[in-house]
Amino acid sequence: MGTDDVPLDDKAKRMRDLLSSFYSPDPSSTPNAPSKYGILDAINTSSFDPDQYMNLLVQKSNLEALLQRHVEMAAEIKNLDTDLQMLVYENYNKFISATDAIKRMKSNIIGMEGNMQQLLDKIMSVQSRSDGVNTSLFEKREHIEKLHRTRNLLRKVQFIYDLPARLGRCIKSEAYADAVKFYTGAMPIFKVYGDSSFQDCKRASEEAVAIIVKNLQGKLFSDSESIQARAEAAVLLKQLDFPVDSLQAKLLEKLEQSLGDLRLKTDEIENVSLESNDTSKLGKVSDSIPTTAHEASVREFAEAIRAYRVIFPDSERQLITLAEDLVIKHFEMTKQYIKRRISSANLLGVLRTIWADVLLMDEVLCEAVLPDFSLEAAKDAVKLYVARTFTYLLQDISDALLKVNVKPKEAAEEHPLQVALEASKKAVLQGSMDVLLDFRQLLDDDLGLLVKLRDFIIDWVQEGFQDFFRALDDHFLLLSGRKNLSSQDHGLTEGVHVEKVLAGLVLVLAQLSVFIEQTAIPRITEEIAASFSGGGARGYENGPAFVPGEICRIFRSAGEKLLHHYINMRTQKVSTLLRKRFTTPNWVKHKEPREVHMFVDLFLQESKAIGCEVNQILPQGHLRKHRRSDSNGSTTSSRSNPLRDDKMSRSNTQRARSQLLETHLAKLFKQKVEIFTKVEHTQESVITTTVKLCLKSLQEFVRLQTFNRSGFQQIQLDIQFLRTPLKESVEDEAAIDFLLDEVIVAASERCLDPIPLEPPILDRLIQAKLVKSKEPNPITP
Amino acid sequence: MQGGSSGIGYGLKYQARCISDVKADTDHTSFITGTLSLREENEVHLIRLSSGGTELICEGLFSHPNEIWDLSSCPFDQRIFSTVFSTGESYGAAIWQIPELYGQLNSPQLERIASLDAHVGKINCVLWWPSGRHDKLISIDDENLFLWSLDCSKKAAQVQSKESSGMLHYLSGGAWDPHDVNAVAATCESSVQFWDLRTMKKTSAIERAHIRNANYDMKKKHILVTAEDESGIHIWDLRKPKIPVKELPGHTHWTWAVTCNPEYDGLILSAGTDSTVNLWLAPISAGDEPNSEA
Repeated sequence: MGTDDVPLDDKAKRMRDLLSSFYSPDPSSTPNAPSKYGILDAINTSSFDPDQYMNLLVQKSNLEALLQRHVEMAAEIKNLDTDLQMLVYENYNKFISATDAIKRMKSNIIGMEGNMQQLLDKIMSVQSRSDGVNTSLFEKREHIEKLHRTRNLLRKVQFIYDLPARLGRCIKSEAYADAVKFYTGAMPIFKVYGDSSFQDCKRASEEAVAIIVKNLQGKLFSDSESIQARAEAAVLLKQLDFPVDSLQAKLLEKLEQSLGDLRLKTDEIENVSLESNDTSKLGKVSDSIPTTAHEASVREFAEAIRAYRVIFPDSERQLITLAEDLVIKHFEMTKQYIKRRISSANLLGVLRTIWADVLLMDEVLCEAVLPDFSLEAAKDAVKLYVARTFTYLLQDISDALLKVNVKPKEAAEEHPLQVALEASKKAVLQGSMDVLLDFRQLLDDDLGLLVKLRDFIIDWVQEGFQDFFRALDDHFLLLSGRKNLSSQDHGLTEGVHVEKVLAGLVLVLAQLSVFIEQTAIPRITEEIAASFSGGGARGYENGPAFVPGEICRIFRSAGEKLLHHYINMRTQKVSTLLRKRFTTPNWVKHKEPREVHMFVDLFLQESKAIGCEVNQILPQGHLRKHRRSDSNGSTTSSRSNPLRDDKMSRSNTQRARSQLLETHLAKLFKQKVEIFTKVEHTQESVITTTVKLCLKSLQEFVRLQTFNRSGFQQIQLDIQFLRTPLKESVEDEAAIDFLLDEVIVAASERCLDPIPLEPPILDRLIQAKLVKSKEPNPITP
Repeated sequence: MQGGSSGIGYGLKYQARCISDVKADTDHTSFITGTLSLREENEVHLIRLSSGGTELICEGLFSHPNEIWDLSSCPFDQRIFSTVFSTGESYGAAIWQIPELYGQLNSPQLERIASLDAHVGKINCVLWWPSGRHDKLISIDDENLFLWSLDCSKKAAQVQSKESSGMLHYLSGGAWDPHDVNAVAATCESSVQFWDLRTMKKTSAIERAHIRNANYDMKKKHILVTAEDESGIHIWDLRKPKIPVKELPGHTHWTWAVTCNPEYDGLILSAGTDSTVNLWLAPISAGDEPNSEA
């Protein structure tokens, strides 16, 4: 059985090898892969080893399986044989059909060559024919072309000869556009032949063109023509190579000129509006009349600009400068105007006019951003206005105050200080209110310009008030003569001389400071809070510009300072008097006292003058003890009850005498009287302080002298006389008593032989003096 | 004001108008003062601040023949001082020497070195040159300025030169420039006059009324402090005599005397007739900070 299998296997293997060598993609790999698979499946691989396979099969399988295997294999082999046979047949068939096709192709190609030759011949003949036609028609065609060219040339010549006439017609019919078209068409020819053949023609047409140019220029400059026409004219002129730039410049010049006219007109309008504002307070109504005239001219100007822009599209830059120039000039005028004294209604009128102009021009020339530009300018102008207003306010107040200086004599009968104080109070309060009202007007107006500036205006006003009050404080100090020494800058009051500063003025200033601190500032603060709050251009971290607290502080201290200054001025005067009194006589060789010395009268007169001034202005304090029916300080009223005075002085005399004996002891036990108390803004406080200071000075002057008995007695007499009238006018009796006693004590200490006058003599002398002072005498008014 | 009322007190028997620090006594803080009493026996007290600084000790008590209006200590000899005194009717000025004490404290007599008796009117003050040894003295009366040359060893003083201030100028006091031996400031009614001692001529003046007292800054040149009746204290730079450099409010009544601290810049002491002494801190540049003590 095994032997049977082997030849079959060999045959099959050869077949398989053949097939695989035919189909395998890589036949070289087969011999190189000596397979050692000991598997029965390896029968289909190329490295199949039949002996190994057989051995394996025999070893592994039993007989039955081998037999079965044999049957299977035989069947497989038979199948493979038939398959192979089929393949061979098919291949052969294909080969046969291929051979047939080749045979057929060979027979088809043989007849083609002859046909091709035929085709070539025919084409050659067609070409020769066409050449023949071409040559035969050539001459005629040339001729026709020549004729055609001549005709064109003739037409052109005709056109050029006709050009002058045609241009003339065009001029007549004002068809300048056509004329320019014709002329520019003929230009190349003129350029070439203009000097020879067509000389006349050229000249004639040039003349015509010159007319056209002239006409076009006229058209360009004439305002009556429509803008479109003018623009066209400009375009045509440009086409005619006319120097348009110079035209543009000329036109611009014209515009500028009209600008100049406009400016002048603005001035007139301002004048007119000023006058009309003066007559009728309503700015809006009065403004409307002159505005129309002005508006018309501005409208005209705007139109001109619009036209210009259309005509010269690339001229924006110049126009913007022009418009800005106009705005600048406007605001320059405004600033000039502000320098005069105007109300905000007037300013509003002017601003409104300007704004209207600006809006008009903006319509025409929006590239210029004129509103923004004018906003900047307006900012300056309004700021200037605010500053000016405050300056005027300061001036007003100063004027009101200086009226005291101007005619103190004329108004002597009345109360000049009171009048001045009231006037200046009014100037401060009313002036400030007016100023605020004025600014309110600016704020309330709905003019676009001002609406944008509102925040700024609020800040300026606040700042303005702050600065104004500071300046006012400075000014007060200047007026009071305190500052002249240290201040190098001479501001508003060049004419005020230090020496001429009246004490009364200082008092008025002091009181005015108090008024500002207590009344004016709260009112103004209220007003500002009501209508000038907000702002905020300064930023919140800086706070509001107007700090009433600071101003109040400034004026409180100013008030105190000025009051002290007043007291100082007054006491200084008395001091001079006392100094003369005490340094002039030789006190060691003084004669016996015969009468009360005259300096007492002067002293009382001074204190009365102080009282007179003080009573006019300062409020009464609550501690007033002595009622005075009349505040103008006449002697009769203050000495209304001589009988009572006599009694008092008598008792005082006795007391003085007894006091003298026990001065040292008494002083030890006496409570120290507070002499130098704080000065208040009341009549009594000021008078008391002044008198106290004077008496203290008196004491110090006494301490510097050495007296003999008579000198001491003279002092005793004078002081005794002073006691009654002084106590009458002064609030703090105890202090006055104390100080007067101190004078006597000081005198006795400085006396070589301190023996006081006998009371009866003292009384008699005082009586004599009283009687004398009651008579009409020149010393006391 | 009760600023620093914990001061140390020293009582005199009578009123006094003047006190002077003893500059020449470098070991101690000493003062010399004299009483002003018209009818009683006047005394000169030499006071020393105890080493602990808690007490004022009387180092010497001497009787003085007349009431003392002005007193100043010699800057180079602590035993020498000058007084201006008044008998009530007439004035005199003298240089005194404190005798050696040898421990005992009973009032020995002062030794009069010299009397400056060329004056006629009311003598206002005697000035020593504040910066050190100088053999000249200045005395000022109402109308005249005297320059004396003093010889302590010979116990003699001679008038070296004299100049009248001119009519209508009543001198009231003066100050000798510590930086310039030849410059003296004299106060008069309406101005402070500056004198050159070499020529005895006025050089310049500050026009200012009612100046009571003037004093030079010991440290800084050209700085003069003046005290005025009503308008307080002014500090002047003498190169700019028109406008004061600084203004201090002074006292509620007259400011009587003013002096600069010789050591510390800007410290100014002022005394006023309102019975207060104010100590000012007024540097020329910065703000002032007044502090006062009764």
